[in-house]
Amino acid sequence: MDDRTHKPHRSAQSGPKADEKKGKAKEKQTGFNEKAFAPKSGRRAEKQGRRNVERDQTRLHVPLLNRTPDDQPPPIIVAVVGPPGVGKTTLVKSLVKRYTKQTLSEIKGPVTVVSGKKRRLTFIECNVDLNSMIDIGKVADLVLLMIDGSFGFEMEQFEFLNILQSHGFPKVIGVLTHLDLIRKQATLRDIKKMLKKRFWTEIYQGAKLFYLSGVLNGRYPDGEIQNLSRFISVMKFRPLVFRNTHPYLLADRLEDLTSREEIRASKGKCDRIVTVYGYLRGTNFRHKMKVHIPGVGDLDVKSISVLGDPCPLPDADSEKRRKLSEKKKLLVYAPMSDVGGVMYDKDAVWINVPGSFTRGNMEIPQGEGEKMVINLQDAGDTLDNAVSRSRIRLLDSSSKTLAVNANVDEESDFAGVSGEELSSDDDDNASYESRTDGDKEKVESDEDNDSQNEFEHGASDERAVGDRGRSGTRVSQRSLRNLPSTSERPDTAVFAESDSELDFEEARKEKWISGVYTQYSDQDILQLVDNEGLEEGVDNVSRWKEDLSARAVESYNKRLGRKKQIDWMKLIYSSSMSPEDIVLGKSIEVRESEVDADDDGLIQVKKNIVNDEVWDMTKEPLVEADLAQWDDDELLDSLRGLFITGGDTVGDIEENDPQDERDGGDFKDLEASGAGTFIDANTGDSESQREESEDDATARAATLSSKKEALKRMFNEQYDDPEASKLDFYDEKKRRNGPAVGALVEGYRPGSYVRIELENVPCEMIEHFDPMFPIIVGGLLPAEECFGYIQARIKRHRWHAKTLKTNDPLILSLGWRRFQTIPIYSLDDHSIRMRMLKYTPEHMHCYATFYGPVALPNTGFCAFNTLSSETSGFRVSATGVVLDIDRSTKIMKKLKLTGVPLKIFKNTAFIRDMFTSALEVTKFEGANIKTVSGVRGQIKKALGKPEGAFRATFEDKVLMSDIVFLRGWYAIEPRKLYNPVTSLLLSEKGKWTGMRLTGQVRRDENLKTPFDKNSSYKKVERLGRRFNPLKIPKKLQAALPYSSKPKLMKAQHRPTYMQKRAVVLEPEEKRAITILQQVRALRKDQIARRREKQEERRAVHRKRVAKEEEKKGEKEKEKRKEYMRTAGMKSKREADREEGRQSKKRKT
Amino acid sequence: MAQAGVSLKFSGHQHFRYRLVLSILSGKPLRIDRIRADDKDPGLRDFEASLLRLLERVTNGTVIEISYTGTSILLKPGVISGGSITHDCPLSRAIGYFLEPLIMLAPFAKKPLDLTLRGITTDDRDLSVDITGSSLGSKKRGAPPLGGGEIQFLCPIVKQVATLNFVEMGKIKRIRGIAHAVRVSPQFSNRMIEASRSILNRYIPDIYLYSDVYKGDDSGKSPGYALSLLAESSTGALHSAEAVSTPGVAPEDTALLATRALLAEVKRGGCVDRSHQILVLLMMILGSEDIGRCRMGEPSPRTIQFLRDVREVFGTSFKISPANSSDPSSTDLLFSCFGTGYVNTNRSLM
Repeated sequence: MDDRTHKPHRSAQSGPKADEKKGKAKEKQTGFNEKAFAPKSGRRAEKQGRRNVERDQTRLHVPLLNRTPDDQPPPIIVAVVGPPGVGKTTLVKSLVKRYTKQTLSEIKGPVTVVSGKKRRLTFIECNVDLNSMIDIGKVADLVLLMIDGSFGFEMEQFEFLNILQSHGFPKVIGVLTHLDLIRKQATLRDIKKMLKKRFWTEIYQGAKLFYLSGVLNGRYPDGEIQNLSRFISVMKFRPLVFRNTHPYLLADRLEDLTSREEIRASKGKCDRIVTVYGYLRGTNFRHKMKVHIPGVGDLDVKSISVLGDPCPLPDADSEKRRKLSEKKKLLVYAPMSDVGGVMYDKDAVWINVPGSFTRGNMEIPQGEGEKMVINLQDAGDTLDNAVSRSRIRLLDSSSKTLAVNANVDEESDFAGVSGEELSSDDDDNASYESRTDGDKEKVESDEDNDSQNEFEHGASDERAVGDRGRSGTRVSQRSLRNLPSTSERPDTAVFAESDSELDFEEARKEKWISGVYTQYSDQDILQLVDNEGLEEGVDNVSRWKEDLSARAVESYNKRLGRKKQIDWMKLIYSSSMSPEDIVLGKSIEVRESEVDADDDGLIQVKKNIVNDEVWDMTKEPLVEADLAQWDDDELLDSLRGLFITGGDTVGDIEENDPQDERDGGDFKDLEASGAGTFIDANTGDSESQREESEDDATARAATLSSKKEALKRMFNEQYDDPEASKLDFYDEKKRRNGPAVGALVEGYRPGSYVRIELENVPCEMIEHFDPMFPIIVGGLLPAEECFGYIQARIKRHRWHAKTLKTNDPLILSLGWRRFQTIPIYSLDDHSIRMRMLKYTPEHMHCYATFYGPVALPNTGFCAFNTLSSETSGFRVSATGVVLDIDRSTKIMKKLKLTGVPLKIFKNTAFIRDMFTSALEVTKFEGANIKTVSGVRGQIKKALGKPEGAFRATFEDKVLMSDIVFLRGWYAIEPRKLYNPVTSLLLSEKGKWTGMRLTGQVRRDENLKTPFDKNSSYKKVERLGRRFNPLKIPKKLQAALPYSSKPKLMKAQHRPTYMQKRAVVLEPEEKRAITILQQVRALRKDQIARRREKQEERRAVHRKRVAKEEEKKGEKEKEKRKEYMRTAGMKSKREADREEGRQSKKRKT
Repeated sequence: MAQAGVSLKFSGHQHFRYRLVLSILSGKPLRIDRIRADDKDPGLRDFEASLLRLLERVTNGTVIEISYTGTSILLKPGVISGGSITHDCPLSRAIGYFLEPLIMLAPFAKKPLDLTLRGITTDDRDLSVDITGSSLGSKKRGAPPLGGGEIQFLCPIVKQVATLNFVEMGKIKRIRGIAHAVRVSPQFSNRMIEASRSILNRYIPDIYLYSDVYKGDDSGKSPGYALSLLAESSTGALHSAEAVSTPGVAPEDTALLATRALLAEVKRGGCVDRSHQILVLLMMILGSEDIGRCRMGEPSPRTIQFLRDVREVFGTSFKISPANSSDPSSTDLLFSCFGTGYVNTNRSLM
């Protein structure tokens, strides 16, 4: 059987197998198999198509312009959030180490590092305080949400996610730690899966979750951190609406500038001047913007200045290299954590050297000199006080001691003369100086952005002061503000000089034209003039001379027809010339008369007296004489070019040439006017018209070429792309203006490192400053400074245990602010009125109206009942969005007035007890009323006798027992409570308590609730009503139609025939009935027996089940025991770790 | 409470209207002192008081305090509510006086504004209703001194003003005009048109001057006539001018005056005429946070004061540079500013 030959296998010669062998087979489909998902029916296809379209629609959104600049963007704020002990500090340390190769010993406040060629990161650790979480949630660009893998999610994390949701959702990356505590692989896998699923439902499906295993050398494993950092570096950020409309800053440094003396005098209780430093973010920071620091309040910005970037991005030369150089990598900026001991100030860089002159430094041996210097610091009094107290006598015999009286006037005079030295000595008076310094620095930093430059600043400062020339300029600037009419002198004086020093003037003009000229203030111009060799100070220019100069300007302008280029910005913004003067520089007649009246600098007043009424007119009066020139046909023709039918070239040149001629040839004109050719502007115009006709061809060619050039440039600009031209504009602007004008026009750009000086800061902010709590400076839009009633759509959070009650205080986080307010909840009652609700609905949105600072409609907010960390439940009590802002509200509360009939006529009744006076009744005349039984009526008129009673008519007769009620609506307004959460002003930041509820106050004060007897609930006793039988007179009954006649109601009292008769059964009937009875009896018995049996069976079963239960219970008990044992061990371990940490701290 | 104190302080009666507008738009309390303090008749005039009343009705929650002498006022602005409002303007100023500030405010109201103003429709001090806006329905005309005209101004609300970028002047492509005559011979308007055409016909053919004659009750209570002209360029730049009848002046002369004023305005250049500079600059300031640009002629004194006040209120200054830096002869200026990103906070989402 073995040797039997098998039939050899014959491979297929054709068919799919053969094709496969030969490689001819159909290519295997990879990826999406269209056929598999092809719709099977037309309807299904249609449905699918519709769904796809709908899905596409959800994807569409209005694109939001990102206002963050592409070059030099501010560092991205990476917030590390999680419960205590989850490893936040370890993560920040690991990341900082990864980026900078430095190990920070402690992390306090923000830490800024350079992470790439175009990206910087600011790490900030968020503590568990709810206030901090709110603030961080408002500014963080990326949140690293840390989750203890061995524990799972905690309440704070969900609260934080809800806060994020209502303030625009930044990017969130989950980080799972403590995974090393889970031994079993299977459990680990399960936990990861479970947490991931939960995380995804909270953020979005597919949100990134990182797993960090153990801690090595106080850091997370390098590989894992590297992965995380890679992920951070490629992260893209979507602009969030609120941050895209507000400038803000995360303060990474805070300094108190208040003079020590003032603090000492007020025992530290005076309002402080504080500077905060940080990178501007969001939109441009404008001048005059108010700021809000959450936890402190609204503050005024005293000054703002741009500083050199302390943590700059790699610049152009290092850019050439492919990788970030190692040197750059080391840059870390964290002033609050005291890294490196270098501080950047606006005019200095402070290097902290634990030097020999500091107190409490006992290790360093101190010599005589050092001791003296240190002792000098002990001086309790100022020199001034000490001198005034001293009893120095001029002569031995003199009875009086020398008196030192601090003459204030004298002193200030002195300051006027040489204010620079004085004020620079005095910290207090430095405000002005700081302003000028700020300006100067802006100019300088444009030229040279190197932060190292700041080291030399001290020296250059001195030089700069010298350059600025006399101290007189400062005085003149003060006067600019105080006396608007006199201060035009400097300007006119400048122009006056130009008369004699033409080359200077021309040089200036050249600068203007070429556009390099940066915007200088008046003083700068003055100073330039000074440099040109002007001997006399402006102050010393005598009156006649000044007038002379003014007149010279006039005539100069007259001659030029004022066609030269004017720096309008300077004239408008930094001179205090009156608008008329600026414009009337050219129309001479008016001006001349003014010049005459100019003598004592009271132009304004005089004018007002002369013209009894200066009308506020938009339309300018038509002066026939001015328009008379239009009689001239030539002039009319010269306009041809401005119309579409007019030729392109001819008209334009005709139009422009005369001006060109004049402008190009300042010089010529001057000479010409010297000869006295021109008398006034009007004739001058026509003169030049004539002159233009004999114009030479060269000028024409020049203008043509320049025009062509301009057109070409414009074309290029528009042809490339609109974006590029815009950028060009930016660049051009920047180049031309320098930062000073840039800031004037567009504010401070995001990404710049600024120092903001704040006034009137509560002293507690400084005294209780804790770098662990973030300080955010949020810019306020003009509208947000106002207060009003805000209407919002609100929904109670479903995890919050209690419903919210109208008129209970609620803490809101809205815009930048956190504040307590008292909302009233309402619902739209059939679009007729807003009806007050006592409580928020269970699962529904409702409206909330509250008083507070205005926020733009569509701003989201979240609400809390309490911020304290002792609360066990979910603290976010509601979330919502602002809908409307108004100064009044229209919320109505239902009010029912009740009364009872006093006397009843037919359909009329007198009602009492509804009102207390006739006046009240008159207010309600004509109002609808109703009885409980539903009879409607109307109030007619007040009655005289019982006060407040009235006559009313009803549609039917009412009963004396009826209650009459009037359904009214009473308008209510929310209480005007705005209580900012000033958590940063407290020494214990988490202990802020706002307004308490009455019950809470009573509980705290141990007061009893006042008891009103009438308010207690009593059992209502309602007597049963007895109605008398209706008796209809016989006569009336007879007259009624049958249907209305009362029917017989008496019951039959005699038995009927059917009831009365006796029934005798037939024998077979009797038998049948007996049988039936017997059968029923048998059946009953059977059922009873069955039931008995079943009961027996059940007993057995129950016994068995009980036994099983017992066994199971034992097992459960054991399990629980095991769990508790492990939990106990874990907590013990944690406690040990905590202890270890503390002991370590103690050591350091 | 935390309500801010008075942050804006001005003095003098000049520039009264747009200061009120700026205060209301920015929500900052405003105090104006020394209103005609040195005048024979100190304090607010009736039309100013009337304007304040009108603003109080257009807004909700505005508190206006006027000092005993009337020389200083304090305005605590509320929200601009809009809605349907009728106001009788005093005869001392034309409707244009009241309309101008409301045109600035109306787009930022809570509800679309439906404003009916009664009074003088055209006079020589204020912009006439023909020039002020296209969304105007002029129901009745009223010439000074007795007025009797009526106009209706409808304005929708906006969420945010778009950034203006208006640099190309273009060339004038059409001229429109309205010559109206009330309680005088209807021939007057035709005579004005004739006279105006005698000058304008040389430029472009697209000139339509309408003769607008009102009869009976619609023609107000006083006689008068005027010619308003509007030149539109190919890019949409508008230049306007008008002249109003004065006793003893022939309609032809009035027309010539208007026409020449229009030509002067056109010659001045820019994309916006002088009387509307403020409106355009304000809208640029309120635009979204981008750079808005507009080419204009030289600023009028009012505009200059406005620029200064705007800096006071919104902290924004304009960059003013010659529009054509290669061609130093042109007096056109390029006004550019970084918009404040003003959002209509009053707009309700309910």
